[in-house]
Amino acid sequence: MQDYRKFLDEILVDEQAIQKRVAELGAQISRDYEGTDLLVVCLLRGGITFTADLARHLTIPHELDCMSLASYGVGRYSSSGNVRVNLDLQTNIESRDVLLIEDIVDSGRTLAHVLQMLRTRNPKSLKVCVLLDKKMRREVPVNVDYIGFDVPDKYVFGYGIDIDERYRHLPFIASVDMRKYRRPAEAGQG
Amino acid sequence: MRDYKEFMSEILIDEGTLQKRVADLGAEISRDYQGKNPVLICILRGGMVFLVDLMRHITVPHQMDFMAIASYGLGARASAGNVRLTLDLQTDIHGRDVLLVEDIVDSGNTLAYVLEFLQTRQPRSLKVCALLDKEERREIAVPIHYRGFVIPDKYVFGYGLDLDEYYRNLPFVAIVDLEKYQPPLS
Repeated sequence: MQDYRKFLDEILVDEQAIQKRVAELGAQISRDYEGTDLLVVCLLRGGITFTADLARHLTIPHELDCMSLASYGVGRYSSSGNVRVNLDLQTNIESRDVLLIEDIVDSGRTLAHVLQMLRTRNPKSLKVCVLLDKKMRREVPVNVDYIGFDVPDKYVFGYGIDIDERYRHLPFIASVDMRKYRRPAEAGQG
Repeated sequence: MRDYKEFMSEILIDEGTLQKRVADLGAEISRDYQGKNPVLICILRGGMVFLVDLMRHITVPHQMDFMAIASYGLGARASAGNVRLTLDLQTDIHGRDVLLVEDIVDSGNTLAYVLEFLQTRQPRSLKVCALLDKEERREIAVPIHYRGFVIPDKYVFGYGLDLDEYYRNLPFVAIVDLEKYQPPLS
């Protein structure tokens, strides 16, 4: 197991900046959803750290649910762009105010697809909160209502975001120097 | 939706005490798993908050994965008997050091079932870390290797534990006054 310092390119957002921004987002969401019956939906697994911290800054009562998604076919996306639901919501979102929490948006394909799918269930409102927005990578327009930070088109890790399933626990967001990073043997191809 | 202060009987474990204990557990786990690469498994959704905080105190390389389970039959609070897997692990745990992270152990029935199930996949080791242990309620013996707090047989909420799906976000663990609490209409 490689020490992350060996392939860390730079820390893009440090721990303090993340915590401060998460608190601000929590306050803003609490104001915006005052008096509503909010359902917070965490997209596993990357969104878990952000969701757990953000929820603690929400001062309004809310429900929390999780979804787990995967793609069809080989590689990141199938040609159809369809997304497979591994774990669906336990909650019926009809007529509910739903806030989807994501760690990062890049092409926007997955997010656009999930939003489309959730809209068929007729929520009262459906908004999106992402910690990181990699705008340069956008291929599909998606409306993101709450953004933590804009990040450049670099491979990032930490604060819930993994590289080959590791390093999610780091309290900051950093970029990877791909020339120095070695994939673990069990990660395989892809 | 009501403010929790209307039905909270008392704060059982405050935020400072929780965070300190989670840090201690993280340090202990880091020592015990030195040189290993454990997989931390969280059973959704109660264990999420504990897992996220615990992970940040674990200094050895590790992975995390999730399972979601549901009970067969009716009654949300009945937890005896077999459980149904609604989300399986993404990771193959064969030959791996597995640490199951749980918010609370009550009767032990669900935990016993999950451990038995995970054991069939032949992990190298399988241990349990539970934040709260309601020891008095135990119906079946289950091993708990890392334990946050032993708590009395009271209905608790906060720090990942819900009351009818709400209040998981509170940074402390509190006891409900069931005479004052009314479940939400849905």
